[in-house]
Amino acid sequence: MSQGDSMADSTNGASFSSLFTSYQVLCHTPIVDRDELICEMVRALGPALGQGQLDQVVKLAIEREDEMPSVLAPGIALPHARIRGLQRLVVAVSTSQKGVRFSDDVGGVVKLIILVLTPHDSPAAYLQAVSSLAGILQVPGTADKVADLDSGEKVWHFFDRGGLILPDYVCAGDIMRRQFVSVHSDDTCEAAIDLFVRHQLADLPVVDTDGRLAGLVTADALLKVCLPDYILWMQDLSPIINFEPFAELLRNEGKTWLADIMSDDYVTVSEDSPAIEVAKGMCKRGVRQVLVLRGEELVGVIAIEDFITKVLRE
Amino acid sequence: MPSVRHKGLTPKQMFVRGMLVLVLSASTALFVRALDYTGPQVIACTVFAMTVLATLLFWEFRLAVAFLGIAALFSCDVLTLDRFVESCELPVILFLVGMMITVGVLKELGFFSWIIQLIVGMHHMTGTAFAVTVMVLSALLACAVDEVTSIVFVCALVFQVCDTLRVSATPFLIMAVMATNIGSAGTMIGNPVGLLISHRAGFTFEDFLIWAFPVMLACLLTAVGVLLVWFRREIRELSERLEERRQQKQALGPLVRVPYRKGLVIFVVTVAAIAFHHRLEALLDLEQNTLLMTAPLAIAGILMVWRHERAKHYIEVEVDWWELLFFMMLFAKAGALEHTGVASRVARDFGTAFHGSPALLLPVILGISAIGSAFVDNVVFVAAFMPVVRELQATPLWWALLFGACLGGNVTMIGSAANVIAIGVFEKRHRRSLDFWQWLKVGTVVGVVTCVVAWGGLTLMAKHMPVRPLHPHDGWGAWPDSHEAAPAALPDGPEEPR
Repeated sequence: MSQGDSMADSTNGASFSSLFTSYQVLCHTPIVDRDELICEMVRALGPALGQGQLDQVVKLAIEREDEMPSVLAPGIALPHARIRGLQRLVVAVSTSQKGVRFSDDVGGVVKLIILVLTPHDSPAAYLQAVSSLAGILQVPGTADKVADLDSGEKVWHFFDRGGLILPDYVCAGDIMRRQFVSVHSDDTCEAAIDLFVRHQLADLPVVDTDGRLAGLVTADALLKVCLPDYILWMQDLSPIINFEPFAELLRNEGKTWLADIMSDDYVTVSEDSPAIEVAKGMCKRGVRQVLVLRGEELVGVIAIEDFITKVLRE
Repeated sequence: MPSVRHKGLTPKQMFVRGMLVLVLSASTALFVRALDYTGPQVIACTVFAMTVLATLLFWEFRLAVAFLGIAALFSCDVLTLDRFVESCELPVILFLVGMMITVGVLKELGFFSWIIQLIVGMHHMTGTAFAVTVMVLSALLACAVDEVTSIVFVCALVFQVCDTLRVSATPFLIMAVMATNIGSAGTMIGNPVGLLISHRAGFTFEDFLIWAFPVMLACLLTAVGVLLVWFRREIRELSERLEERRQQKQALGPLVRVPYRKGLVIFVVTVAAIAFHHRLEALLDLEQNTLLMTAPLAIAGILMVWRHERAKHYIEVEVDWWELLFFMMLFAKAGALEHTGVASRVARDFGTAFHGSPALLLPVILGISAIGSAFVDNVVFVAAFMPVVRELQATPLWWALLFGACLGGNVTMIGSAANVIAIGVFEKRHRRSLDFWQWLKVGTVVGVVTCVVAWGGLTLMAKHMPVRPLHPHDGWGAWPDSHEAAPAALPDGPEEPR
């Protein structure tokens, strides 16, 4: 396939390599400053963007990066921005042997930088691009391997040979949070309360020893243990003004098993379900978190905040 | 009664059901026309049939259909404003308004919280004790307040205990609902049907205590026995969980000091005022049932003065205006059936078919009202059937109608308001529905057994029932072996149609 010639308005099913050419690859860039590099990469995309708005695009990409560093894998960053008036997804790639600092964290220095610019009204485009790169993002050493390539042509061929295809749709697995807090069904209420407090969470998935989803403990359920319906009927709160019903919970939190208060009222999707199923579940069931399963194993969670950020802002 | 909820009907389903209502209503019109009914009678029957069908197929639209039906009756000159006011049973409606406000105040005062805490805090509770307690509480609460209030509060108790112990709430919910339906026949305030019958037949609260309450108790005892056996496995499981929890020294729920005394006083005064209305009316030389209907209003008024800052809330939230307006429209339509002469004509046909024998008519009316109430709103059914029973002029038949309507509600999960409310609470909580067939199996057994018990009880008591005017304008309720002469003959013919 020749570089860039298969790029269609719809990127579904297209290969990732069709989104850029070797002219949009800055190989072995000497730039070490993040903002300067983003500026250079945007300039490399100049013809696709139109010269008039380059400064605006640079500003948007840097602002986005400031909000949330896009280091998605060791040594790899995917800065991006949504651009009004842009007709299609465009990509620029840069490699650096010295490394460019994208975040203050350990591992914040990256060697492979993939700038993804998407149309402003295309919610799934960036996620599709990330999804198509999932194969190389998860392989250790990818950044060093690409950074060692000594020409734009070779870098382009690396992506082309990888068979990286933009998926037809974004899956739940693409937007889920893989690192999440959970509790075991043989934990006690005490453990759940500690986690609620420490992580400022409203829901905690409960898993068994094999990682299979067993239930969900919500902060609401904990409150309900203390304030059941029959107490809430009363208008006069004087009998509970000093949180008397909570005393029982405190007395027994160490011996109340989560299995006793966890709920089976939750929304799950499979990892490969279209991400829109997540939104559907949230809207129809009025929940703020969807649990993602691989078989019966809990592999991720998608909070409503994550969904909105990923689909409407990233 | 109420059909399953119809939210989310597809346009195709709406169309099919709409056509079904139109076709069946038109068939009703043609059928009664073929029987030589007059024009107004045909219209009254058709509008009533349409309301019943709409209740069954378009539960969400039942009030709209009721309004349209009344408008149709007015337009066709089958109903006048005076007739409407006369037939819509305003005293019953006002009684229900007063009771709903009083129940709302009792709830806020913690009266029901106190009752539930008494049970939640019981020591040495076992599965059997819990099941019996739930059923007896459901029945007695239904007697003392009403079936809807009873099931709302008992549901909370069932879910509290079952969810805490992680056992299925379904069996205990079914027990509670069935006991509520049975208990609602025990007093006139247990069910709108009881109120309606008491108002039309002129029964007092004491009449209910003497003639209905014992039969209700017999039915309840039978049902308790049947349900304890039917759900023995689930009850045993609850016992085991209770024992485990007891060993962990954990309660079934938080127990707080509830200031229940004010609520208890209000409850006792309200029940006493209703219970002794007949004696007080006699003492004050008031027309029969005057105090019965005004006592809840007076008590509600006093409560609204006392808690004036919440008065608007009680009126707007605690009173179920939707249901009450539906009842008013329904009663007016039943009134149209009566004054156009449909009721007396059907009564005559009934009397002829069963040789005017109340002993034969008793099981027939009990059975018909039980079957009818299993599938149609029991208030709808009783409203339609009451004028017929009124024309048949035999006291035991009123009780047969009451028990049939209340006990028949147990057969299906849509058989009564209590069932529908309990299912709604269950669905909201567990996001799934109860199994229709599971309910039907146990419901049929309980329904049939309790109807047989009620039949036996009423037959035994029938000869002792007083032969006295059922209503100032009615005839006499006679039973073959009663001590006084039975002047009641079946009516000669329909009232002159308008």
